[in-house]
Amino acid sequence: MRRLIPVLLLSLAVPAAAAPALAAGAAEPVAVSVLVPITGFLALEGTAQRNGAVLALDKPPAGVSVTYQVADTATSPEVAVTALQRALDREQPVAVAAPIFGTQMLAMAPIADRAGVPLVTVSGTAKITELGHDVVFRFFPTDAVVKVAQARYAVQELGMKKPAVLYQTTAYGQSGREHLARTLKQLGVEPVLEEAIDPGIKDLVPALERARAAGADGLLLQLHSGPTALAVRQAHGLGLGLPVVAGSAMHQPTTAALLEPDQLTGVCAETASSPVSEADPRVAAFTNAYRERFHSEPDAFALGQYDGMRMVLAAVADGARSPQAVRDWLAGRRYQGLAMDYVSDGTGNMAHDAVIVCYDGTGRVPTIMKRYDAVDGVR
Amino acid sequence: MTGPDRRDLVYLAAAAAGLGGVVALGDTYALRVATLVGIYAIAAIGYQLVFGRLGLLSLAQGALFGIGAYTSALLTLSLGLPAPLGIVAAVVAPAAVGAAVALPIARLESHYVALATLGLAQLALLAATNLELTGGANGLYGVPPLAVGPVEIVGGWPMLTLVWTLVGLCLLASRAMLAGGRAARFATLRDAPHAALTLGLNPVPARLVLFAAAGALGGLAGGLQVHGIGVVSPSVTGFEVMVTILAIAVVGGRGSGPGAVAGAALLIPLPEVLRFLEGSYLAAYGVVLLAAIVLMPRGLDGWLRDRFPRRPPAVPAAASAPARRRGKALAVDGLRKRFGGVTALDGVSFAVSAGTVVGLIGANGSGKTTVLNLISGLETPDAGQIRLGGVPLAERPAHHRTALGLGRGFQHPEFPEGLFVLEAAAVAARDRSVALAALERVGLAGRAAEPVAALGAAELRRLDLARTLATEPGAVILDEPAAGLTADERSALSALLRRLADEGLAVLVVDHGMDFLLPLADRIVCLDAGRVLAAGTPEAVRRDPAVVAAYLGQGAAA
Amino acid sequence: MIEAAAQLAVNAVALGAVYALVALGFVLVIGAVGAVNFAHGELVMLGGMVGVGAAMLLPADLPVPGLLVLPAVLAVMAAVGLAVAGIAYAPLRRAPPTAVFIATIAVGLIVHHGVTVGIGPEPRRGPPLIDSGILDVAGVGLAHQQLATIATAAALIFAVHFLLQQTRFGRRLRAAAQDPEMARAVGIPVRLTIAVSFALAAALAGAAGLLLSNQYLVTPTDGGALMLKAYVATVIGGWGRIWGAALGAFAIAVFETLVAASASYLVAEALLYLGVLAVLAVRPQGLFGETTGRRA
Repeated sequence: MRRLIPVLLLSLAVPAAAAPALAAGAAEPVAVSVLVPITGFLALEGTAQRNGAVLALDKPPAGVSVTYQVADTATSPEVAVTALQRALDREQPVAVAAPIFGTQMLAMAPIADRAGVPLVTVSGTAKITELGHDVVFRFFPTDAVVKVAQARYAVQELGMKKPAVLYQTTAYGQSGREHLARTLKQLGVEPVLEEAIDPGIKDLVPALERARAAGADGLLLQLHSGPTALAVRQAHGLGLGLPVVAGSAMHQPTTAALLEPDQLTGVCAETASSPVSEADPRVAAFTNAYRERFHSEPDAFALGQYDGMRMVLAAVADGARSPQAVRDWLAGRRYQGLAMDYVSDGTGNMAHDAVIVCYDGTGRVPTIMKRYDAVDGVR
Repeated sequence: MTGPDRRDLVYLAAAAAGLGGVVALGDTYALRVATLVGIYAIAAIGYQLVFGRLGLLSLAQGALFGIGAYTSALLTLSLGLPAPLGIVAAVVAPAAVGAAVALPIARLESHYVALATLGLAQLALLAATNLELTGGANGLYGVPPLAVGPVEIVGGWPMLTLVWTLVGLCLLASRAMLAGGRAARFATLRDAPHAALTLGLNPVPARLVLFAAAGALGGLAGGLQVHGIGVVSPSVTGFEVMVTILAIAVVGGRGSGPGAVAGAALLIPLPEVLRFLEGSYLAAYGVVLLAAIVLMPRGLDGWLRDRFPRRPPAVPAAASAPARRRGKALAVDGLRKRFGGVTALDGVSFAVSAGTVVGLIGANGSGKTTVLNLISGLETPDAGQIRLGGVPLAERPAHHRTALGLGRGFQHPEFPEGLFVLEAAAVAARDRSVALAALERVGLAGRAAEPVAALGAAELRRLDLARTLATEPGAVILDEPAAGLTADERSALSALLRRLADEGLAVLVVDHGMDFLLPLADRIVCLDAGRVLAAGTPEAVRRDPAVVAAYLGQGAAA
Repeated sequence: MIEAAAQLAVNAVALGAVYALVALGFVLVIGAVGAVNFAHGELVMLGGMVGVGAAMLLPADLPVPGLLVLPAVLAVMAAVGLAVAGIAYAPLRRAPPTAVFIATIAVGLIVHHGVTVGIGPEPRRGPPLIDSGILDVAGVGLAHQQLATIATAAALIFAVHFLLQQTRFGRRLRAAAQDPEMARAVGIPVRLTIAVSFALAAALAGAAGLLLSNQYLVTPTDGGALMLKAYVATVIGGWGRIWGAALGAFAIAVFETLVAASASYLVAEALLYLGVLAVLAVRPQGLFGETTGRRA
């Protein structure tokens, strides 16, 4: 113990001195911290965030030089707060790429607020921008936008009158379910089944059978990637023949990769964007760069985080070199990103458009079926 | 407790070094990590009481941590209670839950304790994740910070000071709970549960108190945590918190409060130290944890104890005079016991008058040990009665029988780890001079200050007898006390048993054969297949044709 | 309705058979060393990932890919089991069981995060044992995969039964588990026997992982929930009782599926743990455990 304690303290100090990754550029570098969940049950989404942020930070605009460090926030607010504290003390970032996990954002926001450092996230949890912390900037439409799109598409385009809602017992699932229920009610539709599903559940047939028994005429999913694939496949296997409108997890190429094209026939999903579907050359360039760098397919979380970090870099390029200046720039400007145009609604919600993508049964790349622009009325 | 333990000095030096390190680093981040160490240390100090001292693998400490966090968060958020009152509730509620948990599981053995507590923890997690009251998976946010008057304790030095002051108080409290010989009694309950029962130790109150204390400290840690970061989510009741606390307890050294603090100081900052590895840091954490446990299988505290052994207890200057307790006659009447389909005892009756030695003999499996287990209360008879000094025992729990004056010695006695001979003998004694007197009677007084581990098998059996005599019994029942002894030891034992009988005790001695009992016993009872085959004077039993045929064989009769 | 019931029943049996394999491996280690192998759930996940990787090495359109991969998974995972025994148990033979417990927690962390970092956090799908076809039984469509899963799990369980009951190794294992000192005294190579139990346990975990990976996918975070199931099953079945654990696991899967189908998953989970508490209150020695005389 006598020997251990000094070693321990010494090594606690080491990360402070660890050489940060230095990107190209001549000017005095600014620091950005990437604090996202790259382990635990949100590792898939968090890794997409990390990759999107890294892609943006590695190629800053001319005249901007950036250093950044990536740290895991895992699955608890406690770890996220510690990571943020460390970043604030030891990296002095002008902005933080912040976790998709809403609970972590709720814990980090007050601390970032005191320090005046903007948190740039793709979390969908509505509450994180409702608490008056003017440092949270969300580059993904909130549940109040995407769930409206999901419910409207299901009811208005597919004609669902008796949908069954399967949702995960996580922040993502519960928040999504709440907004789905609200929109469905406004549309005059009552779900015939609302089933909470723990991420550890393996077999979804019991829930699907109950949906069938309840006379459901469609499935609304608000599940993470693996369970979404499982639900789609088992629904197909049971021959339910019900239309499926899934949450954003379904648009992730990872999810589609778990399914055969014919199982995907007629499956739709809400999302902010679908980088693999876009023909736009700038998005295609992003998609190719992503594939080359990370040997995987980008999703809307990666693109949203990429856009967010690009906007931060644009602010820096425009002369914003302090956290407060970057925050004000993010709050006051309109930015044309790859996925959409971003502008704050005054509370830090930057994204206001959603799309519905659908799979036609011939491949794993969905097509964009319908765009819901400015769902929350912000233009 | 005589003089400062040298380990304590090491711990104090380490704490001072840690404080120096935190001052040297000085930033909010270092202070936050140090605060987190303190919070987990508090939870782990509590956990040591149940896991370390009682040896029960409770998997609910993480849930109690979470219950503390949610209790305080809910009370401050929805009732507007001031945060310090929330913390008080965060101590009281989990303590109550801990005590409530302890009662139903008090009779379970360790692995079932693990499952029962795991079940409770999973239910707590399920509730936290799915109830509207607890904010669902997102949890509760905006929990106010602790405040003393107008001064908010948000983080940094004030929070660190508060948390570590509480760490110190928790260490003192846990030390107080273990003072006055309680540590030895808890250790006996943990490592020698059967002996503990027959020595009159009742596990139920011990479990109740220690579970409640563990809950209180777990809840306190949770409360401090939630007011420190302002949010609480189901992750606090999750299995990861539990595993962290368990790892701290084991790496710190089972049962040790200061070890728990050291374990927290080692394990909580470790992921932070490994941050530079990015995604691999938790795998690296696993490697370091593995290395730590392989290098120090008994934890930091065990490692230190090997280098700085505990000081032996002070031996009283004089032993008290031999007990003047009145001897009590022991009688069993019509004892029956079945295990599954096997009849172990089928109507056994005999009596041991005060002041006499009765030998109980029989072949292996004839039911001798079962008779002793029924008398001492380790097993319940299917039928029949046991009387001590005329008082019926059959309905009474084991520890009551000890209080009535029954003493029991074991063939293979169990002793708790890490005690000195005097401590082991005094575990159920009125005071240490009584224990010393008992040690004197069995010829171990000279070794009172040695560790129990230094004794040989025959000496351990004498120590077992000593701790039984130290309860000042009116009747003793002994299971093959002479097995494996040398001729000298046998005659010394024989003389001791004779003397106990002469002082008025009823003495029942189980043995294999008659060699040892023939010159000693006043009467012999011979069991065969769960029935009394013969009873009478040694000479009469030795000549009984049924005994000769069934048991002693031709050679003995010749 | 009959079709739904048949589907549910087949699913429950398939899941139960796989959980039984998981619990069997788990309890083998408990029997051999008296300590809980906390990494067992992670080994199931690793087995699934090994199956995914091995299937990628196979040419694309071979028949019965899962069955072809199975021996490789068993072999790789047996080697992993030996490594776990060497790293987490051998150095701690004389240490208290809790030290082994913590060491296996460390191994679990290494496996879990090693996989996340090594191949990424994505969920993956393993190869089907036979193919993805559907067998039509009297108008009820049953997936080949589910039927093959049941058959494979049953075959493995039978093989383990044979190994434990009929072979010299089995007798040694049981002897070593009951009384290691005595076993050593009569010349049983206890250390080798223990190492083989770890290998066997990991191989069974790996097979379970492979069986789960096609129908139910495999994700690096899967380990924890599987480990909890095996733990509960082992205690319900009577601590250290091999067939009790397998039966307990099977019962849990069937119970969960049926309650989830008739009420909900939340009710199923709550009832499972409430049931566990009730079982312990009524039968403190486990559901299938026996009351035995206390040898004091």
